[in-house]
Amino acid sequence: MALIPTGVYHPLFRSESGSNGVHVKSFYLDILPVTNGDFLAFVRANPRWQRSRVKRIFADEFYLKSWAGDLEPGSNAPANAPVTDVSWFAAKAYAQWKGNRLPTLAEWEYAASANSTRADSEQDPEFKRQVLNWYCTPATARLSPVGLGQTNFWGIHDLHGLVWEWVADFNSALLTGGAQGDTGLDRRLFCGGGAQGAADVQDYPAFMRYAFRSSLKADYCVHNLGFRCAKDL
Amino acid sequence: MKPKPKTLFLSVAILTLGSCVTQSSPVAAQSSCCVKAETPAAFTDKSIYQTESIWTTDQEKHIKLSALAGRPQVVAMFFAHCQFACPIIVNDMKRIEAALPADVSDRIGFNLVSFDAKRDTPSALAEYREARDLPAKSWTLMCGHPDDVLELAALLGVRFKEDGNGQFAHSNVITILNAQGEIVHQQIGLNQDIHETVRLLQQLVKN
Repeated sequence: MALIPTGVYHPLFRSESGSNGVHVKSFYLDILPVTNGDFLAFVRANPRWQRSRVKRIFADEFYLKSWAGDLEPGSNAPANAPVTDVSWFAAKAYAQWKGNRLPTLAEWEYAASANSTRADSEQDPEFKRQVLNWYCTPATARLSPVGLGQTNFWGIHDLHGLVWEWVADFNSALLTGGAQGDTGLDRRLFCGGGAQGAADVQDYPAFMRYAFRSSLKADYCVHNLGFRCAKDL
Repeated sequence: MKPKPKTLFLSVAILTLGSCVTQSSPVAAQSSCCVKAETPAAFTDKSIYQTESIWTTDQEKHIKLSALAGRPQVVAMFFAHCQFACPIIVNDMKRIEAALPADVSDRIGFNLVSFDAKRDTPSALAEYREARDLPAKSWTLMCGHPDDVLELAALLGVRFKEDGNGQFAHSNVITILNAQGEIVHQQIGLNQDIHETVRLLQQLVKN
């Protein structure tokens, strides 16, 4: 794990309280996403998380679907590639088993806002373009190994460019339901005009992540969605 | 019939008196009392009662959600300081209760689970119960560890977010669970027509 020092995360949408960003306390973050090999050790030790045994409420029918069997990741899920098709519940259970936790949305975004040379890529349109290019590229059936990409300023690999990642409070993005379903501040995101309230309207990757997270449910298992762990100091 | 396996009752006093934020680690608290031992296998694949989280009621009881099994339950998430939506959610639940014949409503539980682990202590919830006139016989008010609040919200499909002012933005959802803890219906939004919810509850009690 790498130490991410205390800092400030600037959310795409600031709350009406007009705060100048979210204070993020220093924490540890996995250098690499959790791999199929890592996850195999977890399901061996915790049979209730094996594909044929998992309870439907904790993972939908796509859980570990690219694996060959309960204890065989198989050729489409190499040991050194990120594990995907895992639900939020499964990711959370893995993190707890390791004595860790999932990063919060603020922690993840803060760590991921670093490019290779700076903690804050806000002034780096080229970095954002690269991230956006990746978002536009469909995931391959067989994902690349972890750790091939360049490390960012904190020494972390693959926050962008390999898979999307679960965060602990993914369900804090309020973008669901009809007008009456949510009582919230973030309804500005619902339509294009609302984007005028965004802190940085050029930050398309942040819009994409917000939209993606708000489309998720905790039991969803998605082929390009994995996770990594975090830990308190 | 086979006897149920006996379980040790762990009396680890992890819970700080009068508070719901009891520990910083996400490791689940052990039950200290009153929790009937149920193996996860006792519930169906889609039962939310498979979760191990422990909740504190406004009467300072520590319960697993599985303690609610055996009768249909009406569940909503809320916070006591909410000035707009939550009072309407609670009122909607009271409308549902009032619309049911007495012999049906007697067999249904009504539950409010707080988002606000900091302020909604058992005593704050007890005050809320008093102020809103929620009878102890049928209503349960609960608070829990923030991780468990997140998990329950995930299970119920409820989205929420704390803003800088101690308010929570949240989905307005009233969930109906059957006796096994499966979600059978969700009434979404405020001040909705309760007809369908009432009909379903009557049907669940009959079955």
